[in-house]
Amino acid sequence: MLSHQNAHPEKPTRVVVLGAGGVIGKALLKRLKADGIAVLGLGSVEIDLTELAAAEELQALLRADDAVVFLSALTPDKGRDIATLMKNLRMAEAVAAAVAAVRCKHLVYMSSDAVYPFGGGTVDETTPADPLDLYGVMHKTREVMMMSAVQANALAILRCTLVCAADDTHNSYGPNRFRRQAAKDGKITLGGEGKETRDHVFADDVAELVRLVLVHRSAGLLNAVSGRSYSFGEVAHVVAATFDPPAEVSFAGGGGAVTHRHFDATALHQAFPNFHFQPLEAVVAEVHRRSAGRGDG
Amino acid sequence: MTGPVIGFAGMTHLGLNSAVASAERGFDVICFDSDADRIAALNEGRLPVVEPELPEMFARRHARLTFTSDAGLLKKCDVIYVAPDVATDEKGASDLGPIRALIDLVDAAMAAASVLVVLSQVPPGFTSGLSRPLAARYYQVETLIFGRAIERAMYPERFIVGCADPAVPLPAALAAYLSAFECPILPMRYESAELCKISINMVLVAQVSCANTIAELCEKVGADYGEIVPALRLDRRIGAYAYISPGMGISGGNLERDLATFNSFGDALGTSIGVVRAWQHNSGYRRNWALRTLHATVLSRLADPLIAVLGLAYKENTDSVKNSPAVALIEALQPFHVRAFDPVVAPREEWHPVLTASLDPMAACGGADVVLVMTPWPEFRGIDVTQLAKALRGNVVIDPYGMLDRRSAIAAGLEYYRIGVS
Repeated sequence: MLSHQNAHPEKPTRVVVLGAGGVIGKALLKRLKADGIAVLGLGSVEIDLTELAAAEELQALLRADDAVVFLSALTPDKGRDIATLMKNLRMAEAVAAAVAAVRCKHLVYMSSDAVYPFGGGTVDETTPADPLDLYGVMHKTREVMMMSAVQANALAILRCTLVCAADDTHNSYGPNRFRRQAAKDGKITLGGEGKETRDHVFADDVAELVRLVLVHRSAGLLNAVSGRSYSFGEVAHVVAATFDPPAEVSFAGGGGAVTHRHFDATALHQAFPNFHFQPLEAVVAEVHRRSAGRGDG
Repeated sequence: MTGPVIGFAGMTHLGLNSAVASAERGFDVICFDSDADRIAALNEGRLPVVEPELPEMFARRHARLTFTSDAGLLKKCDVIYVAPDVATDEKGASDLGPIRALIDLVDAAMAAASVLVVLSQVPPGFTSGLSRPLAARYYQVETLIFGRAIERAMYPERFIVGCADPAVPLPAALAAYLSAFECPILPMRYESAELCKISINMVLVAQVSCANTIAELCEKVGADYGEIVPALRLDRRIGAYAYISPGMGISGGNLERDLATFNSFGDALGTSIGVVRAWQHNSGYRRNWALRTLHATVLSRLADPLIAVLGLAYKENTDSVKNSPAVALIEALQPFHVRAFDPVVAPREEWHPVLTASLDPMAACGGADVVLVMTPWPEFRGIDVTQLAKALRGNVVIDPYGMLDRRSAIAAGLEYYRIGVS
């Protein structure tokens, strides 16, 4: 579902990363710098995209030959309400206005798999986006806003699944929260029976995927997914095994409807045959290694 | 009594095989194509398509076959079949321009009393929309199967004939010709016959989509779809010849065309087509079965693997590569070294910049990290898995159609993957 505008990889003149202070943003800056790519990282400290003047401020910072990576978003841990939705849309409004005015060469929008409903078996890029909550609606709306701001051949949309990282601050349900529980209490307690399945990807791998999209000047839609799903129970056991002694895993039982998410990663294989997301076991081990000595383990 | 002279216009896959089978049935046949080079090749005995039994039958019945690019000879025909292969685009949409032009050419050249029969795949409404007098134009469903074209042309299950009025007897020449094949003749309205052709293919696609869907779950739950199939075939409601062998999506172009045509009508006329879209999606998903398996087992583990691909044609006994899963696979392996072997299809540079052609299966597999058996050519069943295991550098065998014996492969130390088996 992605098409490459560059037949051979070519470093962009400059990459502007919006949301540079986030989990993916930090990993991306590090990866791009390691590759010798000029990069301007902007976080909410440098520019508050929810402010009225944000579009003009951003426009002043952008150049026509820039590739812009738009990562900034208020994630569900910051709020799931309408006010958060509107703030997120104001941020997108500012970015859309700025990149349209400057006519930036390439725009990469980091969307989310929250645009897809649960159920229905395997999800791929042709699966209709039918978000179930305001967070998913926000990302789908932002996708369309970005489509209105730049030409189709200048826009790549990546729908990213759950991200795992050592410095994750979201504490969302999954490996990040599990390892905090294990580090603090020596045990991991899951809601329900841990049967729900999800795909998990490593932040560093997402950063590498974005780099590939940038150097190929890719356009279109791609799910940033590994294609392998694990139940939360399996994830908990993988995380527990990284501790010595292994953390105890228990299940609270009960819970609501069990939902599953499985992805077909064929489009990723076709777009970037040499790229693979690391398996969960390797990611959890790496996160554990990096977290050693920190407060959370 | 002399039998009617039969004409076939359009010497591509359908027309050529149908013409040769007609000669085998005892008719004198005039074969027309405006492409003089194609006719010259046929007159020299060079066949443009690969089909079992075609070369032998062609040689045997050569005296009854007249190949010409002179439309004037069509005046001698009592019945003329217009039978070019109708080209389709990537979405399966037909290009009807060439067949319309050919019909006009034939119509102008043929005798006034002769019968014109459209044999190519055309959408509902096509035949009734022609300008030729109603009584002298017919549509006949073809049921060609690539790799079995001669068998199908010689021994049809039935003839489905679209007419202006099914209650009116068929013209004597056409009836005499069709009767020679000793099978039921089903006259019906033009539109019914045209939709009947599509209906046959839709039922086949529904069956194979069902098989694919079940086979995938078999791979996840410890089942073997091969064990389920005999039970399905013994169910009278399903039947011994049902299209329930799983595969890697529909290929070849004809089934895809009919689904696209049906959807086009459904879109325009407001009928439900959701299930057809689901079949199409399933087909695309299945086409990449081998690619997914290859990524999971080899490409995610090895940095620079050597990949052997056995089979390029979309199925056995044909040289067609239209929507071939093997070609789709190779196109998705651009960064890797690929060796390929096919008994009749030569690898093309447009598929892969460094695709190497091998002279035989073992030559392709020598030193490879993985082999994928992408076309079920019968000769691949003869591959000795012990020799294969020795020839390979790696040990992964991806054999979607089960051309190699699974137990023997595993016993030889190979990591073996097949559709529908855990």
